[in-house]
Amino acid sequence: MIVCLAVVGHQNNPLYIQSFTEADDALKLHHIVHCSLDVVDERVNNPKKSGPTINEAFLGLLYPTENYKVYGYLTNTKVKFILVTTDLDVRDADVRNFFRRFHAAYVDAVTNPFHVPGKKITSKIFAERVSTMVKSFGLSPAS
Amino acid sequence: MVKKGFEERLPFKRAFLNNKTRNPVLVEELPAEFILTTDARLRSRFPQEQSLFWFREPYATIVLVTCEDLDEFKNILKPRLKLIVQNDEREWFIVFVSKAPAHNDQATKMAKKVYAKLEVDFSSKKRERCCKLDINAPEANFWDDLETKIMECIRNTLDRRIQFYEEEIRKLSEQRFMPVWNFCNFFHPEEVKRYGWYIPLYYAAANLMVEESLAFMFEIAHLHEDALREYDELELCYLETGAQRVCQYGWKAREFGGVEQGDDQATLLEPARKPLTQIVHDDSFREFEFGSIYLPSMLPFCMREVWVITACLALIDATASHYKDGLAAPDVEKEFYRVQGEIYTLCRTKFMRLGYLIGYGSDIERSPVNSASLSMLPWPKPAVWPSLPSNASSEVLAKEKMILQDSPRHKHFGIQRKPLPLEPSVLLREANRRRASLSAGNMSELFDGRPNANDSSGPLSPLPKVNSVSMSRTFSSPGNFEGSIDRPMRLAEIYVAAEHALRNTISDVKLWESLSSIEKFEQKYLDLSKGAANNYHRSWWKRHGVVLDGEIAAVYHKHENYDFAANLYEKVCALYAGEGWENLLAEVLPNLAECQKIQNDQAGYLSSCVRLLSLDKGLFLTKERQAFQSEVVRLAHSEMEHPVPLDVSSLITFSGNQGPLLELCDGDPGTLSVTLWSEFPDDITLESLSLTLTATNNTDEGAKAIKSTEAIVLRPGRNIITLPLPPQKPGSYVLGVLTGQIGQLRFRSHSFSKGGPADSDDFLSYEKPTRPILKVANPRSLVDLAAAVSSALLMNESQWVGIIVRPLNYSLKGAVLHIDAGPGLRIEERHHFEIEKHEVGTQNMTNLDNPPENLSPVSTGVKQLTLEDGKIKLPDWTSNITSVLWIPLRAVSDGLAKGTPAGFKCLRLLRRTIAVHFTDPFHVSIRVADKCNDGTLLLQVKASLAIYDAWLDLQDGFAHAGKGDGRPASSFFPLIVSPKSKAGILFSIYLAEASAKVRFSLFVLYESVFVERQAGLKFVFPIHLTSADEAKELQPVSILNIKYTISGSRNLGAHTPVAEELTGPDNVKAEHLTFRSELVLQRPVLDPCLAVGFLSLPSSGLRVGQLVTMKWRVERLKALEEKVASDNLDEVLYEVNINPENWMIAGRKRGYVSLSTKQGMRFEDRDLNIMPASGCRICPPPQLGLPNVDEANISCNPPGPHLVCVLPPPLSSSYCVPA
Repeated sequence: MIVCLAVVGHQNNPLYIQSFTEADDALKLHHIVHCSLDVVDERVNNPKKSGPTINEAFLGLLYPTENYKVYGYLTNTKVKFILVTTDLDVRDADVRNFFRRFHAAYVDAVTNPFHVPGKKITSKIFAERVSTMVKSFGLSPAS
Repeated sequence: MVKKGFEERLPFKRAFLNNKTRNPVLVEELPAEFILTTDARLRSRFPQEQSLFWFREPYATIVLVTCEDLDEFKNILKPRLKLIVQNDEREWFIVFVSKAPAHNDQATKMAKKVYAKLEVDFSSKKRERCCKLDINAPEANFWDDLETKIMECIRNTLDRRIQFYEEEIRKLSEQRFMPVWNFCNFFHPEEVKRYGWYIPLYYAAANLMVEESLAFMFEIAHLHEDALREYDELELCYLETGAQRVCQYGWKAREFGGVEQGDDQATLLEPARKPLTQIVHDDSFREFEFGSIYLPSMLPFCMREVWVITACLALIDATASHYKDGLAAPDVEKEFYRVQGEIYTLCRTKFMRLGYLIGYGSDIERSPVNSASLSMLPWPKPAVWPSLPSNASSEVLAKEKMILQDSPRHKHFGIQRKPLPLEPSVLLREANRRRASLSAGNMSELFDGRPNANDSSGPLSPLPKVNSVSMSRTFSSPGNFEGSIDRPMRLAEIYVAAEHALRNTISDVKLWESLSSIEKFEQKYLDLSKGAANNYHRSWWKRHGVVLDGEIAAVYHKHENYDFAANLYEKVCALYAGEGWENLLAEVLPNLAECQKIQNDQAGYLSSCVRLLSLDKGLFLTKERQAFQSEVVRLAHSEMEHPVPLDVSSLITFSGNQGPLLELCDGDPGTLSVTLWSEFPDDITLESLSLTLTATNNTDEGAKAIKSTEAIVLRPGRNIITLPLPPQKPGSYVLGVLTGQIGQLRFRSHSFSKGGPADSDDFLSYEKPTRPILKVANPRSLVDLAAAVSSALLMNESQWVGIIVRPLNYSLKGAVLHIDAGPGLRIEERHHFEIEKHEVGTQNMTNLDNPPENLSPVSTGVKQLTLEDGKIKLPDWTSNITSVLWIPLRAVSDGLAKGTPAGFKCLRLLRRTIAVHFTDPFHVSIRVADKCNDGTLLLQVKASLAIYDAWLDLQDGFAHAGKGDGRPASSFFPLIVSPKSKAGILFSIYLAEASAKVRFSLFVLYESVFVERQAGLKFVFPIHLTSADEAKELQPVSILNIKYTISGSRNLGAHTPVAEELTGPDNVKAEHLTFRSELVLQRPVLDPCLAVGFLSLPSSGLRVGQLVTMKWRVERLKALEEKVASDNLDEVLYEVNINPENWMIAGRKRGYVSLSTKQGMRFEDRDLNIMPASGCRICPPPQLGLPNVDEANISCNPPGPHLVCVLPPPLSSSYCVPA
């Protein structure tokens, strides 16, 4: 289950962060997303560590802990997508696929002429679309 | 006995072993152990494991043989030995133990023989694999020999194993670096199915194990440096594969191994102490059966947590102490610290979990980081939750007391937040559910049906969602289920039970101690946090470090160490603020503010309050934001020791108003209207306010501030304020900075809003306003003053002079007109001035023949004004329209007026001189010449004239013919002369001396004028005066008198004089104006003797200051008669007549020229140089007069007075005469 999805701007500022948990604990997810930027930064700043994935937007698993996983995705404009999931056996391919669709949704949202680049994404349609994607992510054939 | 002797020599001293790079390394001490082949630890394991756990295999096999018979050796021992040696890949050698007593030669001999045979069979030239131990007579060098052999074996084994492991690592690494590799999909799903769920786990462990075992092997061999290096690589490996996961699996794997006392301590790297090494030595990894993973029930309570803590601590200690020098490359070092930080964090998390279980949860800050690490971490899952020991009632009481005493810490500013959870679920429920005696079904009963569920919720209200589990977590009413076995445990009981269980689990004294009291717990918690933070700070993961600093700060904060706390909090706030994570910032900033307040750091506190106010409105309640503001205001009005400037860019933003920008003319003041957005939750009073204006075209010049001195109260949201704007220089201006004062404090705001409230995430862009708010035009004419009349006015009559006042896109409100009549002009102050709207059409009046009759001076739309002190205040209605101001004016002098300089003042001064041309109604230019040439009298005004009378007062020597009064027949009058016509009046005169009378007649000539616009009235004198008269005395000139009236539009020029005149004493006369003009009637040259000719001037014209030579020619027309005086007959007196205002003479002015008396003699004077004196004008040239000769005898050429034009001096100021 995806518990949190975030879009982080190229200056590491949150552009969109949405938690999908029942509990009122979004702040800890903010923290997780924020701290995972460390890993993104590290990968970006040390390209030799990222190895063959250098040309790929999908950063893979950033942040494995015992109970949740953080995946990252870096667009060409240095906008980061961060996904936090409590699913411990997620296939990378699924996540990658999810990110691609999310990327498409993001692009649609920011190409809205009323969106100010670099500002928070407030589009309701984007939020709905993301919410649908998150719900369907759980239903997709798991590994 | 062999074992005994062997162990006596342990550990081996000064062993040389090879490290990974095949270099011999001296090992001071090498421990070894002598075990039997029947030792349980050598029992066989799964083949695939075998290689992996090779490091636990013996390093050398010593085969102890004894044989006293050659046959026995041949038949039994030798084949068995061969078998052992061939099947065993291990290093081996044979110790032949001779049991033969020393005194028994036979036996000794036999033994020697057998040994010799043995040596032949098993030793080679390269390698001696045999040695002999004589029990009864030990050789002195046997043990040395043995040691050497063992060493050799160990060295060889080590080399081989290193090789193997390196190969293995290489293979695994290759796989790991494949792009999509991870543990989960490392193997084909089919394979996973086949081998079951444990395979990935196994390989995860395997991967770890391979590297770890290499390190461990070195460690066993006491190649510490190499071991350390291997462990470092191991850590790198954690990173690349997901450190925690590997750690988790790796450690989980080992966790199942130990159940003995002390096996919970994962002292990975302490060879002196038992645990992992011992587990390995004990070969307890054999129990690493994958099936046993799901048999955790066997484990002590929280075994896993405790094991991880100890493992982490051990790893940290061991690596940190070896890594002080920083031998590695910088990036490796960063990795090292990162892993250290990770291990600390892991340890910290588990430690917090243990602390929570025994009731220290209230001491753990419910921060995002702690919540993130604990609330998603499941509770330990023992099969049966530990139950309360029987004799623990006092401890339970103590815990309950602790729970009750602990009051939740209130945040500053009265901020109330739902605390973040530290628990994955309610501990009370989880613990009770796992108790053997309670089923899950009981739980619902437990929570429902308790009426006082909500009233005693303790500090650990973990679930923010208070749905069905809104219950008392402490169950501090012990009476209810007392005595019942099934009674659910109260929270205090759970804590005590966990504490007891942990006491059994934890063998590490230090760890247990740090859990023994809340103070110790806090200390350890702080140490771990610091350790993690410090290591993260040295790694790439700065955010992790800073966030943990915040946790350290929280501890300091609680212990009232506000200085440290504030410093650390500031770092955290800077991190969050710098990247715009406002939600997280809102969690920390109030704490910082509180520390600053207590420390009396007013500046810091103030800035924190302002920052709190600037955060997104949704993050705080209005009440809280009001608290922030009241603190700001309170501080601002208090006597701060060091007043600080306040940056309120995020709170007060400003912009120009919508709509067109304010346009001002150069030098005009104005009022600037500005929109201010206040983000303060309440009204706020600004004691003063000023805004800078920055010129867009001129960046050099500093911005100018415009100020409002009055206090301004800003309401929340949009405010429109107006500021007086002093005159600005030309240019366009944008808003710069807003400054002002709140109380004693100066504030600044740089933030320009685009007509809306500032975006909360505007921290990134300080967009400069681009739209100008003010435009000051370059200096230009604001008003145009022009003469309304296009044609001349009447001299000596009171005339309306019109001034057209035309505002040029500029309001003339409050304008004052200063009028200063020029010399020779007099303003008729007795009369009112008049002002009226200027009609453009009047300018183009086509029908001049019919000028508006009876044009009343005060017509509709005409207002009368009074001159006061030479000033006229223009009425407001004229401020935006073109108007005409009529000034009654009289030119009093006979000369021509130059004009009226009229100053126009509208706050600023515009000076304009308006030239108004006054003139006589007629200009008489008459020339009397032979044969009836014209004398011309021009009508100089554009008006219709009605001539009522005209007469000629003749000069002496002339007389009127006919009736004698010089008037033409009166039946001609009134004679209307329209501007388009010419008229002539003929007078009949004769020379008085002559008897012959010349008849004259008067006629009026009408003639259309097409070419000339101005109409001319021509008086033509077709008179040829044939008689001459010398009478020069008495009246020298003739005067033409004309009585006339004029009817003209004042818009055009001459008109009826100002009405006042008409009310003069004799009305009838006053109606008629009189024009008098001199006429000089020249008597004809009857007897020309001399002719004076004026030679033409240089064609280039005359200039002021330029010397020119004038030439005249004097010619004698006829010979002098005899009656003329004999003297000086041939000389003629001359005199040059000049007007000294116009001319300067260099040379003789008067003198004689010699001229022969004969006819036709000529004389040309070359000597007279004249110079035009000054000014540009048209003036008569010098005249050459001949005083001694009668005028009647001089014929002039040109005959009449004429004019020359003098040009202004050249631009050069030089007056030098050209060479």
